[in-house]
Amino acid sequence: MSEAVLSKILYVEDDLDIQVVAQMALETVGGYTLAVCSSGQEAIEKAPDFEPDMILLDVMMPQMDGPETFSRLRAIEQLQATPVVFMTAKVMPSDVERYKKLGALDVIAKPFDPMTLATRILQIWNDHHGE
Amino acid sequence: MANEEPDMAQKLALLRAQYAQNFGARVDELEAHRQDLNADEAAVRGDALKQIRNAAHKLAGSGATFGFPEVTSCARELEQVCVLAIENGAKDDPGLASRLGALCGRLREAATDQEEGVTGADVEGERPLVPQMHDSFRQKILFIMEYDGPTAMQILLEMDHFGFDARIIDHPAKLLDDLNDNGAVDVIVTGLKFDGDEEVALKVLAELRKNVAHRDLPVVVHTELDSFVTRLGAVRVGVKAYMVKPVDMADLVDELDRVTQRREDEPYRVLVVDDDESLASHTELVLQGAGMETRITTDAMNIFEVLDDFSPELILLDLYMPGCDGQEIAAVIRQREEYAGIPIVFLSGEADKSKQLSAMEMGGDDFLTKPIHASHLISSVRIRVARFRELRSFMVRDGMTGLFNHTTTKQLLDNEIARVQRSGGELALVSLDIDHFKSVNDSYGHAVGDRVIKSLARLLRQRLRSADIIGRMGGEEFAAILPESGLEEAARVFEQIREAFSQIVFHNNGTKFNVTISCGVAAFADHGTATLLSDAADKALYTAKHGGRNQVVKAD
Repeated sequence: MSEAVLSKILYVEDDLDIQVVAQMALETVGGYTLAVCSSGQEAIEKAPDFEPDMILLDVMMPQMDGPETFSRLRAIEQLQATPVVFMTAKVMPSDVERYKKLGALDVIAKPFDPMTLATRILQIWNDHHGE
Repeated sequence: MANEEPDMAQKLALLRAQYAQNFGARVDELEAHRQDLNADEAAVRGDALKQIRNAAHKLAGSGATFGFPEVTSCARELEQVCVLAIENGAKDDPGLASRLGALCGRLREAATDQEEGVTGADVEGERPLVPQMHDSFRQKILFIMEYDGPTAMQILLEMDHFGFDARIIDHPAKLLDDLNDNGAVDVIVTGLKFDGDEEVALKVLAELRKNVAHRDLPVVVHTELDSFVTRLGAVRVGVKAYMVKPVDMADLVDELDRVTQRREDEPYRVLVVDDDESLASHTELVLQGAGMETRITTDAMNIFEVLDDFSPELILLDLYMPGCDGQEIAAVIRQREEYAGIPIVFLSGEADKSKQLSAMEMGGDDFLTKPIHASHLISSVRIRVARFRELRSFMVRDGMTGLFNHTTTKQLLDNEIARVQRSGGELALVSLDIDHFKSVNDSYGHAVGDRVIKSLARLLRQRLRSADIIGRMGGEEFAAILPESGLEEAARVFEQIREAFSQIVFHNNGTKFNVTISCGVAAFADHGTATLLSDAADKALYTAKHGGRNQVVKAD
């Protein structure tokens, strides 16, 4: 029985369409508090004050991409243990493996089903805290 | 009442329409790069390809999310063509621009409406309800840290009868290694003095607490030392109970049960009533993440069936549903006497306080506003179920043993039989009785008699599954209802329980004695009503008594 409860999610996505629908899915269905960032740079600025329980990171972004944002976030002390989930439209198993090796908790494929996105994320969270 | 809840599906439909509306502009943007594909410089061509690739990648990632799977597949093809062309060094290819043009044309079409429905992602499959086997009960692992070999052995044997998986650690120095080798240890019983050193055990325990994994591991001290200083030392390393020798083993078991209780608590059972399946399954997952058991119903019309079948301890009710609304459902549930006390919590997007209050008047206990934080939901449910359990326990439990009382057990038997008649499966009933209990009371007094009863109750709880129902029917009579068990299975399980109970040694002022039980087992398959089944089990018990007691008899 885990005491850890998923409440705050930092969501990083440059595509505004996806941003809106994911935000709705996570807030309305999931009831999570979201901080939405449109770039890796913004995420790095916002994350320390927001103190997310989980970070949801798009892989393909201009300027700073997902993996780079990930390693820059990891360099911030209070975020070293924060679970990070990648979202990507590339669904090659080799990519998934690579992101996991990098330290991502899991990878969510895009396009996703907005009705079940929150549930999928909670499943990943529960599995992570399950053991 | 109109559905005033801004519901997810509606919002999605709106976003979908917006997406479709802006879609043409997206493709225009993408296509604007197409003319550069005919440029003379490879760098310009390569740059155009990358732009198109990135834009296509985005559309591939969003299309199906908005209910346009064609957008995703078409954009993916477009992306793939660009990737290949880039890998080929963006060679001058006169046909490329027109091929991409054709794909863009298809892409434009893809976001016009053909079909309703947003699908795609994997939805959690239905979990099969596998009945837990009787043999799979997990024994609690107990470490006995004791310098005196015979004492350690005595504790080990006694605790074994009480169903603990006990292991001896003969010196504190070995504790940490043994803990790491043994996985999930539930509790430690330790002496304090080893080789004349009164500090060594406490030092090791202090060391133990530094490890996060063992910070909350319950420790019971069992020692001849009884000074304020040693007791304080014990408290400081998180010792949960301090027992001074000589200790009655029954008391030690009580303490061990007490300090390990939190871990064996039955999960809270919560029923989620919501017509929106994704919201319901999300709520379910939140609660399951907190270790609760859940059931969903999206159709309010079959609520009584679900209530009888699942016996929830709390109902989470969506306020607005098609057909009948949450307030009406609450009122209907409250009409049934057995559900008059069950906590009902409304879950809704309704923010209007006066409407919330009127919902509460109809029988709701609380009102949670969607979207709700997982942590708020969990604690709100936890508090209410805990209070419900406490209140209900006064009515349905036997005060001494904590088992179900006579009335409740009878009623639960009726429920179980109704369930089997509805959905099939097996069911066994066991009547049991402590042999010569009157002479235990006469010889040793009622306090000792009570201890015997408590020990049996404990053994039954420990050996039976959480789905089994155990009742104290009065005095020294007990009953057990075993769902999903036939005659042979039930007889086998109770043969083990009979054997284990006969091995327990009771102490009274230096005298030791054993007590036995007799059991009668009957199966629903052979006796088709509650009365017939009870009679058959009682008759088998009677045969066991007359056959010399200390035995399990199966009904004809």
